[in-house]
Amino acid sequence: MTAISFGDALNRTLHDCMAADDSIIIAGEDIAGGAGIEDSDVELGGVFGVTRGLAARFGTGRVLDTPITESAFVGMGLGAAATGLRPVIEVMFCDFFGVCFDQLINQAAKMRFLSNDRIQLPLVIRTTMGAGDGSGAMHSQSLHALVASVPGLRVVCPATPADAAGLLKTSIASPDPVIFMEHKGLYGLTGPLREDEDGHIVPIPLGKGRYVRRGTDLTLVATGAMVQEAEKAADILAVRGMRCEIIDPRTISPLDMEILIESVAGTGRLLVVDEGAAFAGFADAVVSKISQKAFAFLKSAPVSLTPPHTPVPYGRALEAAYLPSHEKIVECALRHFSK
Amino acid sequence: MDIEILGKYLFKAAFIRSFEQRLAQFSQKGLVPGLLHLCLGAEVFEVILCSKLDSSCDQVTGSHRSHGLALAMETDPVSVAAEILGLEAGLSAGIGGTQHLLAPESGFLSSNGIVGGQVPMAAGAALSAKVRGTGGIAVTVFGDGAFNQGAISETMNLAAVLSLPVLFIVENNGLGQSTAAGYATAGSVIQRVRSLGIAAERVDSNDIEAVDTVTDTMTAWVRNNGSPAVIEALVPRLGGHYHGENEAYLGDQKVPDPLHTLETKALNSGLAEDQIQDILSRARQDADSAVEQAAKLYPAGESLMAKWSAKLHWNSGVGLLQAGGTDT
Ligand SMILES: Cc1ncc(C[n+]2csc(CCOP(=O)(O)OP(=O)(O)O)c2C)c(N)n1
Ligand SMILES: [Mg+2]
Repeated sequence: MTAISFGDALNRTLHDCMAADDSIIIAGEDIAGGAGIEDSDVELGGVFGVTRGLAARFGTGRVLDTPITESAFVGMGLGAAATGLRPVIEVMFCDFFGVCFDQLINQAAKMRFLSNDRIQLPLVIRTTMGAGDGSGAMHSQSLHALVASVPGLRVVCPATPADAAGLLKTSIASPDPVIFMEHKGLYGLTGPLREDEDGHIVPIPLGKGRYVRRGTDLTLVATGAMVQEAEKAADILAVRGMRCEIIDPRTISPLDMEILIESVAGTGRLLVVDEGAAFAGFADAVVSKISQKAFAFLKSAPVSLTPPHTPVPYGRALEAAYLPSHEKIVECALRHFSK
Repeated sequence: MDIEILGKYLFKAAFIRSFEQRLAQFSQKGLVPGLLHLCLGAEVFEVILCSKLDSSCDQVTGSHRSHGLALAMETDPVSVAAEILGLEAGLSAGIGGTQHLLAPESGFLSSNGIVGGQVPMAAGAALSAKVRGTGGIAVTVFGDGAFNQGAISETMNLAAVLSLPVLFIVENNGLGQSTAAGYATAGSVIQRVRSLGIAAERVDSNDIEAVDTVTDTMTAWVRNNGSPAVIEALVPRLGGHYHGENEAYLGDQKVPDPLHTLETKALNSGLAEDQIQDILSRARQDADSAVEQAAKLYPAGESLMAKWSAKLHWNSGVGLLQAGGTDT
């Protein structure tokens, strides 16, 4: 088991999948980079380097740099998916979903349904999410719950290199459009990759959560970059005598309710920490579902910790005030759950 | 051209250049929260363009690369610098940052983080000027990459059919991030917009006289006719997509710097060498001191977020919450 970065794990998966299946194509802005520039022999490989080396290896027939036209190339992806290809489309930041929202929520999300399953839509939209790097209001949002609220879209938020690789592999194989959300703050995170005896990446099913750690006193639910914050908080809370169980659902839709209920059945307490919306976001969805389906297990009211209901601010102190952090998780857990 | 005017252009363009270079130094020291998309190479064009506008009734919208436009519209440079540094004295107290400069009071309505996002709102500013009868126009500045976005074609069509006084400026620097304009754009800018029946001119920003004439003619045309027009301005992008980017994909390219062209033009038009040096050094000093002054100021923090959280709160019954609900 070699350690690999989150970004490299994704890159490796794209390479492996494309080598194994000629119907996989990649498209998006600056995917290869340098398109149309004379004597540009350096491949950018996407603004975060995730698609590095793909154009050189598989050719520009399968690895396409597009104009800055999200509506057109997301729509192109869905059309290609409906007619025999397996496109992996990159939308640089999920904030740009605003530009191609029709193609996502009307066209891609509904085609399989409207065809009564005569059409499969093996489309992956890779995108980035998350704040913390001063990118401001339109390059920092966490829109996982927004897209998850649209029936027909699957939504994945990996938190480790192994999960990123395994979930991307499954997403590419999926017959439903999958929104694959990569937290920008995680690209440099290193960890082991899970491979089988033949060195193939082990796929991870959509809808299967993961126990990040076991505990008895409080269930902490977190995805993406919040998993690390939850872990740090759990370390501190352990010293204070509160043993947290951390669950990373890994996919927002479908959601692994089983693992959530199982955990809450053991702890009786729930704190969901999420970087998304304070209202009608992922945290609210989990709290609501647990309240409905596991009410009898709860010893106290479930709590959510999210950013305030504001856009993402720019200045460093403002952004720090905005984002949930391990300190805020500790404070919130102690305030609500210490007897 | 009048040497006094040339001197003014030179001062402002040099001011913007120095201002951004100073900020770039701060960025290298890790003092700027976001990535800086510098307008290096576009200053001269933007200064001349904005000199044709009236900030009391006109509004400009710009892209992610808009520090220069905000300054060219005479927005207070300390407030601009403080915004870019994410500080409380910034235009929006550091909430918006480098890609979100909003200064409608000086005729700079908004810059934008979304490529093309600034363009439809310019139609709105033009509609507003038209309905309110202010005599104002809207000017929207975007790149060659943005030119392909649907929102821009839609807005051009809308402005044409509704007769809105919008001047569309395509700043063609040959690149959208790492992708060449020639690769990304079918046909030509001018052909595409002329097919909508919109008046369009192309100008090279190194041709100072032409920039002066075309911006003058087109702004006047939009103002007098109350209908849209397009300028495609060829401007170099003298740096990376953002400051500090790995620019390896660019290969070696040599493009003339319009600021030097303007300097030479001023010299040839009769401005003395020492006058030019004086203009340049005053511009540098003023820019440096604006950025330095901003950098000494403080960031806003939790209380500002608390204020916004209260303003935008989804819950209209906040009183009940305070009475014992569990809000976090
Ligand atoms: C909708 C959207 N897509 C992509 C981006 C990322 N992006 C920011 S600037 C840029 C290139 C823009 O090129 P151009 O319009 O030519 O402006 P320039 O940077 O050259 O001034 C890209 C792809 C974005 N901010 N918004
Ligand atoms: Mg450009």
